[in-house]
Amino acid sequence: MDIGRGLVAIAAAIAVFTGFSTGFGEGMVGSKAVESVGKNPEAIDKIRTMMILGDGISETCAIYGLLIALILIFLFA
Amino acid sequence: MTLTIQKEVPSILIITALLCMLCVYAGNKIKKADPYEKPTGIVFAGLWFVEWADGLVASTVRPSYVERFGPYIGSLTMYLLCANLSGLFGFNAPTMNLSVTLTLALITWVLIQAAAFKTNGVLGYFKALFEPLPFLAIGNIAGKFSPLISLSMRLFGNILSGSILMTLIYAATNALSEAILGWVGFDFNVFGVVIAPVFHAYFDVFAGFIQMYIFISLTMAFVANELGDE
Repeated sequence: MDIGRGLVAIAAAIAVFTGFSTGFGEGMVGSKAVESVGKNPEAIDKIRTMMILGDGISETCAIYGLLIALILIFLFA
Repeated sequence: MTLTIQKEVPSILIITALLCMLCVYAGNKIKKADPYEKPTGIVFAGLWFVEWADGLVASTVRPSYVERFGPYIGSLTMYLLCANLSGLFGFNAPTMNLSVTLTLALITWVLIQAAAFKTNGVLGYFKALFEPLPFLAIGNIAGKFSPLISLSMRLFGNILSGSILMTLIYAATNALSEAILGWVGFDFNVFGVVIAPVFHAYFDVFAGFIQMYIFISLTMAFVANELGDE
């Protein structure tokens, strides 16, 4: 085992750590959606669409991290 | 120089050809349809789809842009949906190739810049780059190009990571069923059949659909943002 592979694994782990902030942000999206459904139950269809859209956009950050981690592992490890 | 054919090229060509044939067929049917009768079958589907795209443009961009902008949104929807869902049929999804997503993002980017030129004029466009303070021009120029990167990388990353994860899941279930059932001489990926469909539903169907919707929504939002108020 040379040290380079271990360093690549640590780098991939750091890259995939972007999922931390994304999880936090998506939780906020979900909580605000629940709140607004409670305030305004007849708008549930619009709120669901907006929530999924917001989730998808904030998910991008985690996807970038995952992509970089996978590329690091497959190319350098 | 050697010519290499990337593995996504066959599926790109097949999907493009199928969509072309479908559109020509539907167009012929609609041309021959009797306007005084109830539309049925593919005529009805085509009319519904065009109305859906036009309604989306009218509510997001502005109603006067329906004729210019509706067809682009409609064709983008159709292509991205077929491309993202083609992974289910064993194709290499065309959106796994950065060239495809970058081309689509480039078209959107040109539309955004054209909308900005139309609102501000050529002089106003370049003046707006130095707007708050002159030395912020570098940031503004980088900001002009950022939709190009973010739009293409978002779609590409989602579909590619989904496909890589599916490959990993198939490899893992294959190893698992070999370890458990291999000693009977039973050479079949039993656990893959049970576990993989759930992940296919998420990574191919759900993610593909959501990414298509995000792409067209962001296209319309960026253009509407550049057009400003009426």
